[in-house]
Amino acid sequence: MAATIAAVANLKGGVGKSTTTVMLADGLAYFYGLNVCVIDLDAQANSSQMLLTERGVQQAYEQGKGATHLLKQFIDREPPNAASLIAPNAVTLEELRIAEETDQRQGWISALPSHPHLRLQEMSLEEEWYSKAGTPTSLSTSLSEHFRAGFEPLRDYYDIILLDCPPHLSPLARAGLSLTDVFVMPTIADAVSTWGTKQFSEWVAANIASDLAKRHFVLITRFRNTSYARQVAQELKDIYLSDRWFGPTIPESTQVLNAMDRAAPDSYNTFRGKYGGVKGDVKRLAERFTDFLSQRVGHKWKKMRD
Amino acid sequence: MEKNERLDAIQFLDRFFDELREEARANPKFASRLVRAMGGQVVFEDTAKADIANPYLLAAEGDRSNFYAVFSSLKAAQIKKVLKDNNLATSIDMRGKSASDLVDMLYDRATLKVSERKSSYF
Repeated sequence: MAATIAAVANLKGGVGKSTTTVMLADGLAYFYGLNVCVIDLDAQANSSQMLLTERGVQQAYEQGKGATHLLKQFIDREPPNAASLIAPNAVTLEELRIAEETDQRQGWISALPSHPHLRLQEMSLEEEWYSKAGTPTSLSTSLSEHFRAGFEPLRDYYDIILLDCPPHLSPLARAGLSLTDVFVMPTIADAVSTWGTKQFSEWVAANIASDLAKRHFVLITRFRNTSYARQVAQELKDIYLSDRWFGPTIPESTQVLNAMDRAAPDSYNTFRGKYGGVKGDVKRLAERFTDFLSQRVGHKWKKMRD
Repeated sequence: MEKNERLDAIQFLDRFFDELREEARANPKFASRLVRAMGGQVVFEDTAKADIANPYLLAAEGDRSNFYAVFSSLKAAQIKKVLKDNNLATSIDMRGKSASDLVDMLYDRATLKVSERKSSYF
């Protein structure tokens, strides 16, 4: 079965897109043995950093791996080949590392990492493109074709491709969103984020996916259990996004922050050690998301661990 | 202090510094921060090293021998605590390592993180 592409996206920053991406990757690989490819399209490179560490991100860039090189192939008019740009060692969980060592073909996590140069590279491409009477939309369309061809081989290798999207709609971000099968939207239970969910939903529904409601998985993150936050969360679920799938509410937690800080490129942790008090939340996220995907693709995944 | 007690400036300052001194004595982390804030060099007592010494700050100073002087006298369990408290290693990473291996790990990882996070422009 070809991989499903899921964009983790929201136009608002700071809602936990990268953290959600990594939690999903870990949860799906650990509990269901899914092979996951994380493609980081955000020049902030946070999910890349969480998976590979800062040094790992830099090394990948210097070794010609990652999204910047996929974009370079476009700039140089070369055929896209994302498979050759994948960085190894995006697995941070000891259980998955051991399984990989024993050549079990389940529960891989790979990354097509980003790098801070990605945005500079895209801006330079935009300047050149627009100087030749190109438009943002034509650039986005061309990039989308390039990515589609580049991701094609990955769809056979992986079960799910997670796109960590930037909090804006540059041509590159739009190209990524245009290839997406399902949209995962982390949001925070507050007024500005609630308004942000409307902006994002309306833009995607108008420009990319008119059937967004069926393809939309919403996740309330960084939740602080106050009466105000509970009320906003309730409004999101019952009024504004009542026709969407909701994942479990992820609490604001220092454990989550710690879990995202990999000690070194050769550092591993057990699932329990990495997620501690939020391990149940990661498990529920994986369960709920696979339920959501099952509805879409008609395939039910079996759990490898509980 | 009585609400209407009248003290001169020196008496007020004495009381203030007495409080500060007491807190610094009871709280080595606070004392360490105070000394750093005044631009001084913190001297670590063996008993308090594991709690006070910040491997990132010491790595950023770039003095390898001082780094090792601070951490090498600690027991393996204490170094493990420093590594774990500072998110520099997991239990899996530290498994089967000697105290000397752990100090090397502490130095290498703290130095690596500082070098990756510190701006090259400043």
